[in-house]
Amino acid sequence: MSPPRTLHIRCGTWEQVEAFYSRKLRRGRLLSMRVPFAPELGSELTIGLELPSHIVMTIDGVVRKCEPNEGDDRHWIEIELVGLSEELLRGLRDMVASASATPTKGRVPTGDTANVVSSPPPRRTAAPPPSEDAPPRLPRITAPISPIIEEELPSDERELFGALSTELRRLRLAAVHEVLGVSRDARAEEIRAGWMAHVRRFHPDVLAPHRSDAVSHLAEELTILGNRAYDRLRVALVAEGRGAAFGPALFTPHGWLVGFDDLSTSDVPARAVAKPRTTTTAAPPVAPSAPTTPLSASAPPPAATSSFLETGFEHLPSAASSRTGESYEAQAREALAAGDSSAAREVLAMALVAFPRSRPLRSLYYVASALTALAAGQIVLATSQLETALAHHEGCVEASLVLEQIHRNGGTDYDALRKVFQ
Amino acid sequence: MSYAVGIDLGTSNSAVAVLDDDGRPRILTTPEGSTTLPSLVWFSPSGPVVGEAAREGLDHSPDVTIFGVKRLMGRRFDDPDVRRLARVLPYELVAAANGTTMIALGQGQTVSPEEVSALVLLELRRIAEEFLGGPVVEAVITVPAWFDTAQRQATKDAAEIAGLRVRRLLSEPTAAAFGHGAHRGERRRFVVCDLGGGTFDVAVVDVDSGVFEVLSTTGDAFLGGDDFDRAIVENLVRDVRAAKGLDVSADAGAVDRLRVAAQRAKHELSAELATSLQIPELLLLPSGKAVEYGRTLRRDEIELWSSTLFRRLEHPCRDALVRASRASDQVDEVLLVGGMTRMPAVRRQLARIFGKEPSIIANPEEVVAIGAALEVARLDGLIDGVLIIDVCSRGLSISPAGPPTSSSVSAPCDLVIGPNSVVPTREHRVLLTKQENQQSIEFDLWEGASTDPAENTHLGRFALVELPLAPAGEVLALIEVTIDVDGTVRLAGTELISSQSLSIEQLSHTGLERTEIERLANEHGRRTRARLGTGGAG
Repeated sequence: MSPPRTLHIRCGTWEQVEAFYSRKLRRGRLLSMRVPFAPELGSELTIGLELPSHIVMTIDGVVRKCEPNEGDDRHWIEIELVGLSEELLRGLRDMVASASATPTKGRVPTGDTANVVSSPPPRRTAAPPPSEDAPPRLPRITAPISPIIEEELPSDERELFGALSTELRRLRLAAVHEVLGVSRDARAEEIRAGWMAHVRRFHPDVLAPHRSDAVSHLAEELTILGNRAYDRLRVALVAEGRGAAFGPALFTPHGWLVGFDDLSTSDVPARAVAKPRTTTTAAPPVAPSAPTTPLSASAPPPAATSSFLETGFEHLPSAASSRTGESYEAQAREALAAGDSSAAREVLAMALVAFPRSRPLRSLYYVASALTALAAGQIVLATSQLETALAHHEGCVEASLVLEQIHRNGGTDYDALRKVFQ
Repeated sequence: MSYAVGIDLGTSNSAVAVLDDDGRPRILTTPEGSTTLPSLVWFSPSGPVVGEAAREGLDHSPDVTIFGVKRLMGRRFDDPDVRRLARVLPYELVAAANGTTMIALGQGQTVSPEEVSALVLLELRRIAEEFLGGPVVEAVITVPAWFDTAQRQATKDAAEIAGLRVRRLLSEPTAAAFGHGAHRGERRRFVVCDLGGGTFDVAVVDVDSGVFEVLSTTGDAFLGGDDFDRAIVENLVRDVRAAKGLDVSADAGAVDRLRVAAQRAKHELSAELATSLQIPELLLLPSGKAVEYGRTLRRDEIELWSSTLFRRLEHPCRDALVRASRASDQVDEVLLVGGMTRMPAVRRQLARIFGKEPSIIANPEEVVAIGAALEVARLDGLIDGVLIIDVCSRGLSISPAGPPTSSSVSAPCDLVIGPNSVVPTREHRVLLTKQENQQSIEFDLWEGASTDPAENTHLGRFALVELPLAPAGEVLALIEVTIDVDGTVRLAGTELISSQSLSIEQLSHTGLERTEIERLANEHGRRTRARLGTGGAG
């Protein structure tokens, strides 16, 4: 059972907050909106209402209605906000009132100032933001933030211009992950969804029908902000090995064991792990008990696997911790030179449990996977594995050499491949 | 009332589509009744002739009949591809002062590729204006997805000369998928194979609930219908020698008559298994006697003659899949675009490569222009929920200018905009003065991500001018490089200490100068107005 979803509603101005509770809600607590997924009737759905002061209020709700939307794969849903208490509502009204009294201070962000990749100017201000003390104390949402549902943009040109410039001012001060409305450690899919929502809202083409140069200009600036945030997060993710980018797209990479955190998800490609285990003679001598190799991670309950990785580290046989990374590497190279890539892969998987941060070991592991894939004739998989290897460790000579072989003759010359490691 | 049109500006054939009153795209036909216009301009003694009528020029004055000009757009004269082309083209290429490729027309006259393209655009515009009965001032023009910044800018310049405001430059594979109706329906992963007259382009295009993304593009810039024609003609020349004992390979007129016949036969053989080829007057003997040539041609013969060309289809296809990290079973639909894909053997070969029968499109020559017309509708807000995402595939680099004597600078390049950045995007760099009271800072802009300038393409040399007077290093000039939605570059400069905006002068760049574009636009605009005037009276 998945945890209850949280829908993020971002209000850029206090007017929007006011519109939210005064006009958007029917009978005081019914909210209708379009969402890109189909929730079950009666399931819990939490609304994360982001205020212009960057405080996020959580309001619990229950899905009452869900109908497919005409024309795309989104759904119209109706949520009853059971968690919208009188007290909460009063808090909101107070904040709107105090913000309209001091209009400029209301936009001072209070979010954490740590930036991920980019370096927008520091944005601490001396004066404490007024909303900080506003009763009641509201919880901040940390995770999980699912697709961002935005307020519709106004259709009137002058209002639209105002809304866009407010949004632009706000996002110029935001860190890259905030621009896309995702958490700092967001996964590839979340980043992509956040960026997609951003461009679907602000892309100059979307606003082109207004035929106004001013609107087009703001739209371009907003899209530039979103695209840059997306590109920076993408580059960082690819460098960490947690993402694969092709053209404008961003995916979770094909390779399994990527970044070691996708072991807990079930999207491990079947063909990468469905291979039969190789003979035990090639298995590392220090692994008398089979489950210590992550290769057996294809076992059905993925949660069990991840708990192994977390706890298994301490229970490693002492022999493993006494071995150096180099000795694993030498053993793996020996196996690769002999053309036994599966054995090399097991040795490296073993080694990675002991040395999860070693870049050379990681990249060599991907090279071994690539060779296994090549032997099975899966050139595309092999190429992506090699590229992942290079993403982990740019100086991985073997990966470049094997890639070159693939480009030259499709990687069918096994002798030449073996020679790479001799 | 003025109109906007969608234009497929192709290497050897172009097409124009408009929106009907009910918003449905509609392809327009040339005066000859064809849906495509040959991208061919003959600079005849009485003025330029465009389209089908210019074929006459190929016969007797191939040196001033310009075809395939798209390959020269925005390319420098020293570009390896241009060097390669210069050897085979019947017309002569020369370098302009700034290194841009120009076409020599004899008697010291030259014409730029942009102007030749503009003449084709003007003809398309004329066709559209005749149909619509009003002036056409805006267009969506398609370009190959791999077109770089300079090539895109050159296309925009050509449109400006033709008096058209470019509403959007649209990638051809995206336009093809859009024209095919990919924006309706579920997530689909396409491979678009475009085998036109001059080029073969392959693109992996993902369409997910109305969002179009090109994941990878590859292609062969020198493989197209013309190459198939040439292969057939070569074999026909051999056949003439065997049958008549005459070597016609040096006779341009005879070869061209063979080419026209071969092309017609090729088209007929897409539907038939055999056809007859008749040329009543292949050439005149010195005695004045005409030599007649005729034979029947079977489909398997031309397939055999062009078998080496079929093999060249495979590598770009595989490469496109590898670059998008796709296996061929992860492709939902293979779209075939371009007239050459009507050839059954081409379809067979592509079906074999992708392991899947390609979709049948009724109008492979027109679907790109249809997509461009739909883009017009989308930008007018008539089609909702469609978004087209593009990237700057090669990235942009900047380098401080070297000594003025050598155009090839040794200073290493600094990457400003990374490869595959989603456009529009913007990055900036800060440059410092090196001397006291330095007047200007010069820098070069490159397309490409390498630190070695030799591996990048030079886009231009620019100078930040009218810097404030200050000691060395105390003028901080911020250069903002913006790539807009069309993939063309804009520059802006600011002095950081005084936060004054700085003007940027273009010292040299690939392509036409602004003044030249305006002069040409005026000249052609006058001609157009004159024509419309007489058209209205008559």
